[in-house]
Amino acid sequence: MILYCSVGLLALLSLSIPVGIVLFLLGFGIDIFFSPFPLIRGLGNLVWSTSNNATLIAIPFFVLLGEILVRSGIATRTYAALDRWVSWLPGGLVHANVATATMFSATSGSSVATAATVATVAMPQAEKLGYDPKLFSGAIAAGGTLGIMIPPSINLIVYGFLTQSSIPKLFLAGLLPGLGLALGFMAITVLICLIRPGLGGERRLFSAAQMLQALVQLIPIVLLFTVIIGTIYKGWATPTEAASVGVFGAVAIAALFGTMNWRVVSESLMGTVKITAMIMLVILGASFLNFTLASAGLGNELSALLDGLGLSSLGLILVVVLIYIVLGFFIETLSLMVVTIPIIVPLVVAQGYDPIWFGILMIVLIEMALITPPVGLNLYVVQGARRSGRMSEVMLGAIPYVVMMLVMVGLLIAFPQIALFLPNAVQ
Amino acid sequence: MPERLLDGLKALNRRVASLVGLALLLCSAFVLIDVVLRQVHLSFGGTDEISGYVMAIATSWGMGYALMELGHVRIDLIRTRVGAAGRSLFDLFSLFTLSASVTLIAIKCWPVLERSLANSSRANTPLETPLAWVQLPWLAGWVYFALISWITLLAALVLVMRREHAAAEAAIGALGEAEAAK
Repeated sequence: MILYCSVGLLALLSLSIPVGIVLFLLGFGIDIFFSPFPLIRGLGNLVWSTSNNATLIAIPFFVLLGEILVRSGIATRTYAALDRWVSWLPGGLVHANVATATMFSATSGSSVATAATVATVAMPQAEKLGYDPKLFSGAIAAGGTLGIMIPPSINLIVYGFLTQSSIPKLFLAGLLPGLGLALGFMAITVLICLIRPGLGGERRLFSAAQMLQALVQLIPIVLLFTVIIGTIYKGWATPTEAASVGVFGAVAIAALFGTMNWRVVSESLMGTVKITAMIMLVILGASFLNFTLASAGLGNELSALLDGLGLSSLGLILVVVLIYIVLGFFIETLSLMVVTIPIIVPLVVAQGYDPIWFGILMIVLIEMALITPPVGLNLYVVQGARRSGRMSEVMLGAIPYVVMMLVMVGLLIAFPQIALFLPNAVQ
Repeated sequence: MPERLLDGLKALNRRVASLVGLALLLCSAFVLIDVVLRQVHLSFGGTDEISGYVMAIATSWGMGYALMELGHVRIDLIRTRVGAAGRSLFDLFSLFTLSASVTLIAIKCWPVLERSLANSSRANTPLETPLAWVQLPWLAGWVYFALISWITLLAALVLVMRREHAAAEAAIGALGEAEAAK
């Protein structure tokens, strides 16, 4: 059954059938070939109970929040403001790329949106100020990946939903590794620019007055993040409720800056509907596949496989990491997550690992998939915004950041507390 | 003819999507008001239940718009390595499997509504919502999505048979990674 799933998955995906439908087809196949009783009878109920869900509506709310922030031009202001605060470091504006991406991922929850936003705002600056295009664009692609780690993260909601783990706990668990990665990205930039000062462009110092002025621009967005995470953390609101608070926070900020209008609202809503339907088709397919796999006895087969392999629990994690790195070359974020969760998470949890911790580890690996060629969505997004130069420059520029991610994977395996400290502390 | 049909479908789905978007926005406002009211120990009650229904209906009715805007993710590693005619075949096959699967889903969703109608089921909640009221529009969304997919498939098939590959690709192709992100 595991072999059938893996081979079937790759074959159907390569036929370029929509990912959600591939998952449904695999589920139908399991029902026909592996199940003693007809599972398809449960399909209608499963589709109803999966989509009639007050937790999942957090997804369109967070998407909408991000869309409003991006389309109302708040990103541009944030970038300019952060530039004044971090450009004194060796590497200058490269740090503004990472910092803006961090701040945006802290509100929008989508990596691609984050990368697209920062790329559009930052690219013209790079040419003007003479930065090395490789490092500059690599930093944007890598910084953008933070969107799925730093809460609120849509991917963590999907993970929590499919594995029945607590979403507030996942959000808290993602906070330290996410910020750690952001600092790691900045540290490696400083290191590179100290060794090769030519890559970093000119460092610029701003006066204290200018910095304070910039701070005023940043207050609303920091406030928005604090409110979203704070209300979840304090137990005042569920992620869904926090997301709706965030939506109106974003509307308020855009109104405050005078960039709110009907076009922004309607474009944001249309974008939200499209992205939500896309995500939901994949989630529904994954839920159905989950259901058929569990009913057809995946659990027994997995434990037999594990016994047969004779791996230690650490060995298993290393194999899983390797699988994600390899699959990550070819498959993209949400799809990669959703197609592997039904098989890999039960395996890992059966070995006694914490599903919250594994969720965070998986997110780092998926972040890596976003910036590893040949299929690395963020690389294409950044290249798309550059409009000149070669794709390979972005790929090369992303390498130091991929190294930082590997370091984070190692750290998470060696010290699971990096992820688990916050959620445990809150309990 | 197929071009006009596809344009019509696109326009129709944009309308549907703007209604769905509006519903999501209103729902989010409703949840927000409830959160605020709770701080002063008041509550509508049932926001969770209502947002669940909105999500189910928004999901099924949003699918068609995502299809028209080429929003459903596909892995096109091999597809991009063949010529225009080959790509059209990939696209037709992919849309065919989608239409067939969605039709099956819609058929299998009918018993859910049928049971609620037969038993006059109400939700097991303080609101006691008659389930058929919300399951009917939900199911209608899936049926609508299935219809839209078959009509799109037929229109695209006509285009491909006329060897108008570019037009077919615009209707049912896959967006390259860079465009998909926009």
